Amino acid sequence: MTIRCSDLVKTYEGGKAGWPALRGVSFEIKAGEFVAVTGHSGCGKSTLLNIIGLLDDPSGGQYEFNGRDVLSMSDQERSSARLGEIGFVFQAFHLLNRLSSIENVCLPMMYAGADAREMKARAASLLHKVGLKGKERKTPLELSGGERQRVAIARALANSPKIILADEPTGNLDSVSSREIVDMLFGLNAEGITIIMVTHDKEIAARARRNIRLRDGRLEQ
Amino acid sequence: MRALLNAVKTGFSEIWGHKTRSVLSFLAIAVGSVVFIDAFSAIFATYNRLQQQKAVSGMARLKLTQNSGLAYASTEDYTPPPPIQYEDVVNLREKMPELYMISPEVRTWHNVFEYGGRRMVTSLTGVTPEWIKRDYIYMLRGRFLDWHDVDNKLRVCVLMRKSALPPINGFYKSRMRQWNYTANFDTMVDHNDLLGKTVIIDGFTFTVIGILEELPYSKRPSTILGSNQDYKVLAPVTTLSHYGFVRPNQSLEVNIDTGNERTFEESIRRLKNFLKIRFGYEESGDEEYFIIENQLDLIKERIGDSIKASLVTISLGMLAFIAGGIGIMNVTLATVFARTKEIGIRRAIGASRGDIMLQFIVEAVMLGLIGGVLGSAIGYLWGVPVKVMVGMDASHIKPWMPLVSVFIAVMTAFVFAIYPAWVAAGLKPADALRAE
Ligand SMILES: Nc1ncnc2c1ncn2[C@@H]1O[C@H](COP(=O)(O)OP(=O)(O)OP(=O)(O)O)[C@@H](O)[C@H]1O
Ligand SMILES: [Mg+2]
Repeated sequence: MTIRCSDLVKTYEGGKAGWPALRGVSFEIKAGEFVAVTGHSGCGKSTLLNIIGLLDDPSGGQYEFNGRDVLSMSDQERSSARLGEIGFVFQAFHLLNRLSSIENVCLPMMYAGADAREMKARAASLLHKVGLKGKERKTPLELSGGERQRVAIARALANSPKIILADEPTGNLDSVSSREIVDMLFGLNAEGITIIMVTHDKEIAARARRNIRLRDGRLEQ
Repeated sequence: MRALLNAVKTGFSEIWGHKTRSVLSFLAIAVGSVVFIDAFSAIFATYNRLQQQKAVSGMARLKLTQNSGLAYASTEDYTPPPPIQYEDVVNLREKMPELYMISPEVRTWHNVFEYGGRRMVTSLTGVTPEWIKRDYIYMLRGRFLDWHDVDNKLRVCVLMRKSALPPINGFYKSRMRQWNYTANFDTMVDHNDLLGKTVIIDGFTFTVIGILEELPYSKRPSTILGSNQDYKVLAPVTTLSHYGFVRPNQSLEVNIDTGNERTFEESIRRLKNFLKIRFGYEESGDEEYFIIENQLDLIKERIGDSIKASLVTISLGMLAFIAGGIGIMNVTLATVFARTKEIGIRRAIGASRGDIMLQFIVEAVMLGLIGGVLGSAIGYLWGVPVKVMVGMDASHIKPWMPLVSVFIAVMTAFVFAIYPAWVAAGLKPADALRAE
């Protein structure tokens, strides 16, 4: 599981001309790493993470995801990579509020075509793992921010991803919940999952083995 | 398969979760269904009536009449065209046995009918047993004229018993009373059972051997040619000439059904040939003594007209569906915009474009399906019980009509959901996620 970027450029249509969000970013991330992406607001962290997570296309440069050239991947291939190899955790949780927490966790398995019974069992055990036993039937609106982010982590783990991309996962949480979530991510990293996490928190960044610092769309060495 | 099942499940929860929106889309498509079923049953009724009319009237019809409008250079040149007489009809029957019907007819007016000491005006029509082969929309009591009656010029007759008039307006009713000089005769036949009785017509005694009762208007299959000849008394054509009811030079009219559309032209050619040999042509002009009215063309034209009318009706039904489809498209498009964020989330966790497309199409198809079933049910209720209660004729709804209607509703929903679903699938995951 390696991620290899070289000269990544991202210019948003309708964005400021001559001010690309990313301008020539190159790095490599190996399997099992824990990488914290830092930088001030608007420097292009989310943009970079979206590109790494195959949610968006770079405007220029090369990107190799696990040995495959992303630019030549079809939508179907990208979707199945997101489905089976990548897990996302977002600042705003991005859960479906109409569904219960267990249904939210089931969703990726559903798209993977899992058997309904196995799906339920695995979702339940994942919720148990993130400490939400007994809250399977609650909808996100009935959960606290910290609990919602745990559901999101359980969902990210549903199809046993090799990498988890977390965009400011603690941005909306109090310090106690933040700590628990970050601990959880470090725990997952210990289990062998590559983690790339965007954060503003210096302490958290310091705990990460590796930091990628962005400034105005460039790497800060 | 599993993806489809999941899409159906999601669709159900979406439809259930947005009841107002769903009900409105059901209604849009249901209205289409109702109109369609109504239109379809109307067309089916038209088709049935046409088939019935064809069976009653036949198709390959023609009418042979004396040409009374011949033009002459001067009065001295005037020679009346020769009359068609019963012997000619017998002759034609021998020459062209393949014709299904050769029915001669001659009419006399203002005959005096006497029964039970009362006298009233009536009208005689001379016919042969072939008369009943076409446009026979009556019920017979007793028996009809047979060849024995005709050959022996027997004084027997069949009376026509009118059914009640259909509801018509007062003005028309008073007109009818004014012009119907045989009203007394009609009443007499209606109120007395004359079957087997002896009556006197213009001084001659006739035996009533049969009564032809008109079917009530609602049950009567109309004839395509719509010839409402208003028959009163039918008697053998030979009897009428033998007893001087008709002048010797009064021509018969001959209604013919060749019985075969494919050989129709050939039959006309042979008929013309027959007339030429029998009567020759008028020397001075190129006009002919007889008019052969090609009723097949007329019938075809009438049928064509009602098919055209049907197309108009069905296109109304289709328009209703298109309106419903646009409703569904609108709703689905609105759903796509309202659920952009959700689309982004689903895409992020691994849904492909196809999954998203499937989800929206399945949802719309479910709207169409439920709307179609609803509409078919309403259409049936409107077509049968409600129409009957309101006093209209029930629609002829066949079991397959609601099925077809549901199928079209589903197809409409499907077709009109393609564009919104394509829009939804085309959203970039990153952009969709950013939506509120
Ligand atoms: N969809 C977009 N259209 C136009 N410009 C965009 C879009 N998304 C981001 N940008 C611009 O690209 C730059 C980088 O944005 P990005 O969201 O990656 O920053 P960020 O580092 O994640 O900031 P933050 O820490 O506030 O989340 C910003 O200048 C932003 O205005
Ligand atoms: Mg950001």
